[in-house]
Amino acid sequence: MSKPLLLAALALGAFVTAAQAADQVRIFAAASVAPSLQKIADAYVAGKDVAVTITPAASGALAKQIEAGAPADVFVSADRKWMDYTVEKGLVDKASVFDLVGNSLVLVAAKDAAAAVDLADKAALPAALGEERLAVGEAKSVPAGAYAEEALKSLGLYDALAPRFAPAENVRVALQLVARGEAKLGIVYGTDAAAESGVAVVATFPETSHAPIVYPIGLVKGAGPAAAGFVTYLKGPEAAAVFSAAGFVKPAE
Amino acid sequence: MPELSPAAWSAIALSFKVAAVATLWGVPVATALALLLARGRFPGKALLDGLIHLPLVLPPVVTGYALLLLLGRKGPIGAFLDQQFGIVFAFRWTGAVVAAVVMALPIIVRAIRLSIEAVDVRLEQASGTLGAGRVATFFLVTLPLSLPGILAGATLGFAKALGEFGATITFVSNIPGETRTIASAIYTASQTPDGDAEALALSAVAAVLGLIALVASELLARRARGALS
Repeated sequence: MSKPLLLAALALGAFVTAAQAADQVRIFAAASVAPSLQKIADAYVAGKDVAVTITPAASGALAKQIEAGAPADVFVSADRKWMDYTVEKGLVDKASVFDLVGNSLVLVAAKDAAAAVDLADKAALPAALGEERLAVGEAKSVPAGAYAEEALKSLGLYDALAPRFAPAENVRVALQLVARGEAKLGIVYGTDAAAESGVAVVATFPETSHAPIVYPIGLVKGAGPAAAGFVTYLKGPEAAAVFSAAGFVKPAE
Repeated sequence: MPELSPAAWSAIALSFKVAAVATLWGVPVATALALLLARGRFPGKALLDGLIHLPLVLPPVVTGYALLLLLGRKGPIGAFLDQQFGIVFAFRWTGAVVAAVVMALPIIVRAIRLSIEAVDVRLEQASGTLGAGRVATFFLVTLPLSLPGILAGATLGFAKALGEFGATITFVSNIPGETRTIASAIYTASQTPDGDAEALALSAVAAVLGLIALVASELLARRARGALS
């Protein structure tokens, strides 16, 4: 490479690295908790020299991306399985992991077609669904899908409904399918139903039908110093207020 | 032979079905459009050309989203089709065909247009002076001469339809057996904890199929050029 070009490349590289030296907190967060985290982050960065970026996706997709070396400082998963996955692979610091918030599992329908469904009645949900599709998260990679599968199995409805699933790659997509009327019903988190004005809750899955829905949060190994500060803020009262306004609950023990 | 699960074979079979039907529908439509662009002279021709090529330059997800807005159950065209004919594209392989046609159309149109333009206009004019009407001239003169080019375009379109992902998954989601084509199956496999081996195997299959289709298309195009020179 010619000398001036080499110097220019080095200068650009130095500039880029210098820009990244400003405090950064990069959060990989499950899709359903990302909007609340964004609100909290906006309040947190006011008056500080910190930049907080949030990347929302299904927990499984995020875990695999972190495994592949994606730059992240904090990981918020929608279930323990994917957090355990990252801890086992040595990606997340086990000592930093704790449950941030909890959530509920609900059945939703488009707002203009919402009629309550009695989940205790085994025939009610299949009848309400008919030949239409039930939007759920993809069970193997989306925690909401795994919880939905577990809840339906414990209620004895899984075998009847599995052929009518419309598996989505994250909960937000499942929500959109119901809001748009493409899928007649959907199983999403209580917080998602609250956030989407186009859907209404027609039933809530009893807590006994699924494992407690908790959102573990952990520091990725090699996280920048600002990350720990933000995680501490997340344990505080301002963050708690935002979470409970969105419909999150205290994590079950 | 790669180790593939029944679900993977189902995805491959579905991809073939969707791509075949998409090509079957796409080629006549593309031929008509190519003829219009090659021989027609009308206001707005450049705009039509641009609209046809739009899916080529837009992110596929945007095209899929546009299809969802127009042909989804609550969209203007989709609601009409649902109420009048009971036709619904959501989660159906027919919707995957629509997405594939829209994405492959610009490529097929380009290939066919080039081959129609290579047909000497004087041959068509001669046919006219001998008493053949425009339709007869098309079927007896233009079409046979541009056939190798049309076949090349069809093969190219088939290859494109085989690999379509972004517009398909946005428009008709990822339903195993209905809309889980090879590309969507690879995407799902790559997100499952132990799905990497399957994702790799399917990717290899997709690459080989794509390569076969592209080589076939190139050979047909060469024959087209040879036949006309």
